[in-house]
Amino acid sequence: MDAMDPLRRETALRDGRNVDPEVGRLTGEASGQRASPRLAAAALARAEREAAPADEAEGPSYHGLPVLKEPVWRWMIPAYFYTGGLAGACGVLGAAAQLAGGRGTWPLVRRCRAIAVGGAVASAGFLIADLGRPARFLAMMRVFRPTSPMNMGTWVLATFGALSGAAALPALLPAPRPLRRAADAAGIAAGVVGLPLVGYTGVLLANTAVPVWQETRNTLPMLFAFSGAVSAGAALDLWRPRGPGGEMARRFGLVAKGGELALSWALHREAGLERVERPLRRGASGALLRGARVLLGASAVVDLVRRASPALRIASGVLGTLGTLALRFGVVAAGHASARDPHATFALQRAGRGAADLARKGEAPGPMPAPRGIDATGQESVEHGANP
Amino acid sequence: MRRMGFFTDTTLCIGCKACEVACKQWNQLPDDGFHFTGMSYDNTGMLGASTWRHVAFVERAAELPGQGSPRDGVEGGPRAFGELFPAGQPGPTSLLGHDIQPTHIETPVPLGPTERALGKFSWLMLSDVCKHCERAGCLEACPTGSIVRTEFGSVYVQPDVCNGCGYCVSACPFGVIDRRAEDGRAWKCTLCYDRLKGGMVPACAKACPTASIQFGELDDLRARAHRRVEQLHARGVGEAHLYGEDAASQPGTEGLHAFFLLCDRPEVYNLPPDPVVPTAKIVRSWRSMAAGVLSLAALAMGAVFSARRA
Repeated sequence: MDAMDPLRRETALRDGRNVDPEVGRLTGEASGQRASPRLAAAALARAEREAAPADEAEGPSYHGLPVLKEPVWRWMIPAYFYTGGLAGACGVLGAAAQLAGGRGTWPLVRRCRAIAVGGAVASAGFLIADLGRPARFLAMMRVFRPTSPMNMGTWVLATFGALSGAAALPALLPAPRPLRRAADAAGIAAGVVGLPLVGYTGVLLANTAVPVWQETRNTLPMLFAFSGAVSAGAALDLWRPRGPGGEMARRFGLVAKGGELALSWALHREAGLERVERPLRRGASGALLRGARVLLGASAVVDLVRRASPALRIASGVLGTLGTLALRFGVVAAGHASARDPHATFALQRAGRGAADLARKGEAPGPMPAPRGIDATGQESVEHGANP
Repeated sequence: MRRMGFFTDTTLCIGCKACEVACKQWNQLPDDGFHFTGMSYDNTGMLGASTWRHVAFVERAAELPGQGSPRDGVEGGPRAFGELFPAGQPGPTSLLGHDIQPTHIETPVPLGPTERALGKFSWLMLSDVCKHCERAGCLEACPTGSIVRTEFGSVYVQPDVCNGCGYCVSACPFGVIDRRAEDGRAWKCTLCYDRLKGGMVPACAKACPTASIQFGELDDLRARAHRRVEQLHARGVGEAHLYGEDAASQPGTEGLHAFFLLCDRPEVYNLPPDPVVPTAKIVRSWRSMAAGVLSLAALAMGAVFSARRA
């Protein structure tokens, strides 16, 4: 009897539209939008829960709600930043070893090629898994769009994957000589394509409206490049090739750790405004970045003292991998916090670093267009209603 | 190409939310759940994947000239309980009634704390929508070409192409476009593309009972908006100003196809004061990447060379 109860049936079929299929047809622009009432209010409830408490001293906001949408990316994206950087940097190091390594470096070259192709496959997996519609991942390659770093990155990753796969082929099956030659050429090409693969993810984050990412747009790509090198060095510490290659990887990783540490501080400097820089210091993102520095520093110290000790080599690899992972997750978490904070966006733009920045030629900030009665600095002028 | 758009005059908005309902109805958008926010009369909160119009409510502890109830001839603001008009005589009716001189009579009953509490007060209401920027962050970031510019100058997401990468969500400087979790794709206002194709006005503008949402060709709308600002200034609403009406007023987006008339700072309505399409600043970032990865290549060569065996 219950199954026939019209009220219960309607509730079961409800998709939040309340269109009776007997009366109306679903043909509207958004009629294809899948919906279940269960999840519906979650976004607003979350934004409201996390809304900054209204504080008069911080200037106006709309009930403390965020002005931007928080990135919808899940853990796969920072994980991809790690695997993509690892693969790209291994491609670069492998090509360098192939070109200039001399005697006894083939173990390093082979290992670099193996990590490169493995990392590229894992990267593609993470990227596809994070899509809202994974089955449509090929839509990424229906256009070539230089304004979209994500589109550029897809092309770079696809090219790199194909080249590193070709380079790794002779290791998997007995290859005749011409095929080995072709694989060597592909290895060099993968090294060239590996360069943008290591760096573009920094541009991808910078090309958003998220204040902390947008404001660190010059440091992020360099930081990510060195972070990729650290992951490669650490991975080769853990899976050490025979011959001189192990020492090459150690030196590569050690210098990169220094670069990454220096650039992680440069991140704070470039972020500038306290409100924008805040998530790099505070909260979970701040803790991740501090942890990343400690781990990277420790790994570098172990690198300096380790000599031939396998235990210390493994320790350095683990510390370096964890450090650079913490850095990727920390930078992404900082962006989430920054997008949730409306005052980060407001303070940045009021300080003349929104569009007014574009007019600036490296000197004083250009004037922000100020509507009548409203001062560009955010102060209410006498004309404004709140003043007597 | 006829460039169509919205001019949203917030001084005429009465917060009826007819636009929200009309948008949901016409586009057959699912609901967002029924959620009490406690934020004035706004239980919608923000624009999202299935909310393409959102009426913002601001209860402001400041007076706005001309705001009051026309019914009783009582003016708003600090004079709300100060003066009454004789029955039968029209009082000042909102901003439009500036030329009617009030007749002063005494308040019949002293209102005490109520008067003090309500003295400095005004409503701000704004029906927010996708701005269909001249230079759109979402469009430039979209890696699939799903987001396109239509023949009406609007920015349109093709739902059959979008693969839900989520890049547009972070690229929008206004926080408009969003991905619905169950659906996996990004959605936003289409400027009622289907209605425009049929020669009709978008559902929200059609439903608006006070002409707060005006639809038309952008040039006409701009001229009308400038006249309206002058009119309001003449009536003592000095803070009335346009937001994003053209490239000069908002260089970061090169002007909005859905622009607004505001009576307070943009932040009060949750609008960014000086938004910029992220791509406008990205060239230096690419250069910086080139410097970074070239030094990485040099580092790799150096590491290999320094440790090589002769």
